[in-house]
Amino acid sequence: MTRLLSPLIHLIDDDEAVRTSLALLIGTVGLRVECWADPQNFIAQFDRQSIGAIVLDVRMPGISGLTVLETLMAQQVDQPVILLTGHGTVDMCRRAFKAGAAEFLEKPVNDELLLETLQQAVRQHVRLRERSEASREARERYLQLSEREREVLGLIVAGLTNKEIGRALGLSPRTVETHRAHLFAKLEVESLAQLIRQFAELTESPAG
Amino acid sequence: MLSKLKSLRIWLLLWVCLGVLGAVLLARAALLDLRTAFETDARIIHRLLSQRGVQHDAILATLALLQPERDSREQRLSSLYSQILDVAQREPGSHWPDAALEKAESTSHQLGRPVVADVDWLRGRYRMVLAATPASHALTIDLRSSVPWNDWPVSAATSPMRVALVLDGQQFVLQPGQSRSGGWRFDFRKHLAAESQPFEVVAERQVGWSELPWVSIFLWLSLLAVALAGLRSVLKQRDERRRAQELLRLGQVARLNTLGELAAGLAHELNQPLTAVLASTQAARRLLDDDEPDLATARTAMQQAAEQSRRASDVLGRLRRTVERPDLSGNQQQLDLRAVIRGVLYLLEPECQKRLVIPVQEIPADLPAICADPVALEQILHNLLMNALQALEQVPPRERRLTLRVCQEQARWILRIEDSGPGIAPDVLPRLFEPFFTTRNNGLGLGLGLSETLAMSMGARIVAENISPRGARFSLILPDEKAPS
Repeated sequence: MTRLLSPLIHLIDDDEAVRTSLALLIGTVGLRVECWADPQNFIAQFDRQSIGAIVLDVRMPGISGLTVLETLMAQQVDQPVILLTGHGTVDMCRRAFKAGAAEFLEKPVNDELLLETLQQAVRQHVRLRERSEASREARERYLQLSEREREVLGLIVAGLTNKEIGRALGLSPRTVETHRAHLFAKLEVESLAQLIRQFAELTESPAG
Repeated sequence: MLSKLKSLRIWLLLWVCLGVLGAVLLARAALLDLRTAFETDARIIHRLLSQRGVQHDAILATLALLQPERDSREQRLSSLYSQILDVAQREPGSHWPDAALEKAESTSHQLGRPVVADVDWLRGRYRMVLAATPASHALTIDLRSSVPWNDWPVSAATSPMRVALVLDGQQFVLQPGQSRSGGWRFDFRKHLAAESQPFEVVAERQVGWSELPWVSIFLWLSLLAVALAGLRSVLKQRDERRRAQELLRLGQVARLNTLGELAAGLAHELNQPLTAVLASTQAARRLLDDDEPDLATARTAMQQAAEQSRRASDVLGRLRRTVERPDLSGNQQQLDLRAVIRGVLYLLEPECQKRLVIPVQEIPADLPAICADPVALEQILHNLLMNALQALEQVPPRERRLTLRVCQEQARWILRIEDSGPGIAPDVLPRLFEPFFTTRNNGLGLGLGLSETLAMSMGARIVAENISPRGARFSLILPDEKAPS
């Protein structure tokens, strides 16, 4: 968790009293809150890079919370979305989760439940961002490998020994050994286990 | 309006069609009767006239055979047969006084039977001759007198039937009948069964329009009209009843919808301030729990909570003003409780029948008029009875009893509704009159609460209890009229 900026919670509700009181409550656990009265403005302007979560009221004039949720998902916003509703029906709950909501809470909401849910959502978002960061780095390193090294990597991940790799590629075990040392160095890994954990996915779908 | 007119037109058309059909059948039957009677009469007339013809033949044959003296034969025959006006004889060697008789005799001689010599159409007479030896005889016969009026099947003066004798295109009318124009014509033609007198009996009868069975037709049309009108009104009533039921059902659905809308709107209106209140107070508590409490923010939060509580209370106040009922106690009037009960039971008759329940009434005969609001009382009774009926659904049909009892306790009239249903569960009993409390899946939980409110508004109250061996009793305790509440 980067302490550079504390996580930011986007709170969208058309009722000012609800907005300010919820913001106050969320603020007590040290989370920053940005309030939005108009969902359209929110969609247009909010900071997509920030770490945090989105709290969305379902019943709003003009545009329903579910529609906002669908729009966010379509724009591949990765912040977890928590829906708040006055009277949640089973059907609405089902639709919310189907549309990609992280959580679905009923108003009036209990503080512990809300804050716990928010903190969990933030943790989840941080992990998500870290994971995507890691996979980005791994991809960059992978791209530095030569054609032959990628072949060798694929066979290592497939579980073949050096001897078997040499036979499969028509190389001497010694040459395989050299390639192996190079690719360990280029990928900055120290053990076979680490190599497989970070790069197995890339060898299966060798995307550029 | 258009459909009504259309349907009326259809009924009129139906009446006309059926009416005409029936009228035609009646007329045909009447005409058939008339024709049968006519033909029977005509045959009788033909037979009677034929008998006379044969008689004339026989008289001539007897004269030829017996050759009587002149005096005796004339007097005897005329006195016996009034139609025989004269008996003539041609002695051998002498001649007939005129040529017609001469010619007839020679024909008679050839044929060997009597022959008609001539007919005097004006006077209605004819002469016939039988050639014989030694003397030939001739009879002069009066046509009108030869009719046996005693045996005649119809009255000659008044009968509408015309009867004539026709020979060689000329005719003698025995009975004029009544000639009418239009209508139907019956006729009968047959030669006399006496070869010697080749008269044709022609009977005619003209049946006029006036002779049709107009009375029967009129009766038929009236009966048909009455029957069709009755049928139409029965159908219409059934239709209207069905429509009324449908409207009632729709009305109930509409009321439920309105109620649902109201509840949803109310829920939202109240939820917002409640959310704010809850969040604010919880935030304040958290702030105060901190090691270094941020008192200013906590104070703001508490202020916020107070404001929002007031907002919630305003919502409720507004709602109450919107749906406030007018004071019902003003509508109280003297009522026949028995009539109110009867009216409600009538309304609930289909519900009772559906559940195979026959309500038992135990109401004292000397029930005085009571003071209550009729609409409220009806509503309360309806709700309590519906409740009882729904409770009875949970027991087998043979064990279903519903009793309405009116009794008096300490100057207060009490209406008791008892059912043999499962009774009221002990945990339910204290919450029975709470609004929105229900044990039924699709119940709103408003019926009993509303009933209690209505009862209280007119100074009455409702008491619920279980009875043994099984069932529930709801008592509506009406106010003591002598002690105004």
